[in-house]
Amino acid sequence: MMNPQRLSLSFSSTSYKYRFVQGFIRALKRINRQKLATSLLSRSSPTEIYKRYLKVKSAADASMASAVGLRRAWSRALLQRIRDQERINFGNKYYKYCPAGTRIRGKSTTFTMIRNIKRSSDDRNCKDQESINNGALGWKANELRKLVPGGEAMDMCNLLDETAHYIKCLATQVKLMKRIADFASA
Amino acid sequence: MESAFKFMEMESNELNSSDPSQDCFFKPQNWDDSSLDHQQACDPFESALSSIVSSPAAANSGAGDGAMIRELIGRLGNICSNNNSGEISPSQQSYNNNNNSTNTSCYGTPLNSPPKLSLSIADHHIRAKLNVPGSYFPPSLVPLSGDPGFAERAAKFSSLVNGQFGMNEAEFGYRSMARVDPGKFSRGLSSGPGGRVSGSTPNSEKKDNQISRSLTPENGEFADSREGSSVSDHIPSGVFGGKAENGNAKKRKSISRGKAKETNTPSSPKDAKVAGETSESDAKRSKKDGASSSGNEKENGGKAKAESGDGNEKQTKENSKPPEPPKDYIHVRARRGQATDSHSLAERVRREKISERMKFLQDLVPGCNKVTGKAVMLDEIINYVQSLQRQVEFLSMKLATVNPRMDFNMEALLSKDIFQSRGSFPHAPYLLDSSSLPAFPFGYHHPQQMPPLHNTISTATGTQFPVNPLSAQALHRTPSLQLPAMDGFAESDPQVPTFFEDDLQSVVQMGFGQIQQQNFEGSMASPQMKVEL
Repeated sequence: MMNPQRLSLSFSSTSYKYRFVQGFIRALKRINRQKLATSLLSRSSPTEIYKRYLKVKSAADASMASAVGLRRAWSRALLQRIRDQERINFGNKYYKYCPAGTRIRGKSTTFTMIRNIKRSSDDRNCKDQESINNGALGWKANELRKLVPGGEAMDMCNLLDETAHYIKCLATQVKLMKRIADFASA
Repeated sequence: MESAFKFMEMESNELNSSDPSQDCFFKPQNWDDSSLDHQQACDPFESALSSIVSSPAAANSGAGDGAMIRELIGRLGNICSNNNSGEISPSQQSYNNNNNSTNTSCYGTPLNSPPKLSLSIADHHIRAKLNVPGSYFPPSLVPLSGDPGFAERAAKFSSLVNGQFGMNEAEFGYRSMARVDPGKFSRGLSSGPGGRVSGSTPNSEKKDNQISRSLTPENGEFADSREGSSVSDHIPSGVFGGKAENGNAKKRKSISRGKAKETNTPSSPKDAKVAGETSESDAKRSKKDGASSSGNEKENGGKAKAESGDGNEKQTKENSKPPEPPKDYIHVRARRGQATDSHSLAERVRREKISERMKFLQDLVPGCNKVTGKAVMLDEIINYVQSLQRQVEFLSMKLATVNPRMDFNMEALLSKDIFQSRGSFPHAPYLLDSSSLPAFPFGYHHPQQMPPLHNTISTATGTQFPVNPLSAQALHRTPSLQLPAMDGFAESDPQVPTFFEDDLQSVVQMGFGQIQQQNFEGSMASPQMKVEL
């Protein structure tokens, strides 16, 4: 059971920041190269910018999730989601944009992890979970589940756990991206 | 009856001083010889005994006299189980075994269907005594150590009377009792769970009021506890099972008396937990339990230790329910006045976990300190997560538009950023306050980040390279280079793309040399910095 102290200690911010920044910068470089290579004329068109924005966003999420690794359920789910989207969007080119670390682990691993999460959550006492789901908190819990990646498969207890870690990582991501953006634009 | 009553008093007093084992065997001879001097030592005992005497007297006829006496003796003997731990001989047990049926017949009337008890040694004592037919009064009843112990013993007595059936448990409890420190036992008794209302005799109600006040914490539990699965569980249970006759209201009152540590048991059915984790949430939880589980005041089954015994209380409505065996006593300690079946225990554990995590989230989410309650907290958490995600999207959008410059500054950016992330860099979102950019809730609860925008520009750049001399040049150059670009950017967004598009070449030529110099120096500096890292 995670107690708050353990939760905070497990979030080693420095190494996480470093990994995140590394991955993200690499992704940004790739996107920049792609952008410079492909469209010199229509660089400022909204569609181009929007596409680039999507790529940057997914790169940010992917680098954040890979910085966290596969330790947390939400990072696994997020990586899986990004992979699926990338596969849909880019097909063969998908694996080029994958962060190196996550590419090594096969898809099956992630799937089994997510499956295990779902299975283990079923084994728990369903009664309490049902009462939470059906009660006044149930709607809010479902809202939270939509926000947190991979939250649908979790019971309330794990959901709160993952939410806490996710909030921490999101805050760090926002902070670092701010710095990068300022630095890049400055 | 009075003589017998007083005799029992004497017996208990004598047992205090004398050898308990001997008392069991030899007291009968002293039946008539005992003096009544010890009476005044035990006022509560006397009153309790009087109640004992009076209550059964009403129910029983002459034949029931012996039954009543045996009942009294049983109860007293329970009390003496404290001191007599470990001294009951097996012969007594067998003795008890033989006469079990007899006893049951005698006690069938006054007692409701008494639950099985894991009786303590005292029970054995009492059974041995009770099994003696006729009006023979086994004298080795209650070695009263004093008033505090009296009520407990009386409870034991009643439990013995009530619990004639669980011989196996009694033996088990006996053996386990032998190993228990009596002091601890009495402590456990006093602070133990609230008296459980079992189907015990209504005759002893009055007695319970007076005697079992301090004992009622244990009563309910003991009456209901079945197996002597744990020492601590059943020593009190065996002793006090019989006492669980009264309604819980009386038991609650009695809990506050005596040695009970938990004087607040009437109000908040929780007490010092052995686990002792979220004791505050217990009150909430117990109230929630009342709402969630109807069987709120079932007995507490899970007792791991005897010392900080949780109060077991059983509602009167629980009387009809069959008592449940203690569950999960290894891991979870059921709290006072709370259900003890495995489901409710598991539920309680989960609720504890959830509330613990909610507290942690409260620390994470800014501005949630005053918020109480899960619903509002969840709202805040949802809002915060949404705002963070929106910030990420906004920043990625910004990076998508600003991208052209990224190529040049990658190395420097990486090293600088790492450096910055280590230090407490006062981040200056000065680019974001421009009106052209969408009004973004940039800081979630911290709008104060917005004001110090422009002020921190120079300081920001100044703090980028506090150490490295090589990058000092780059640092000096960057403000000059960056300021015009920043101003341009800050003024209006549309200018940026034009800036890059039209003048990209010129800008690159203009600044590229400097930037490259910067980069060069930066990259030279970066290996050093990376080594530091």
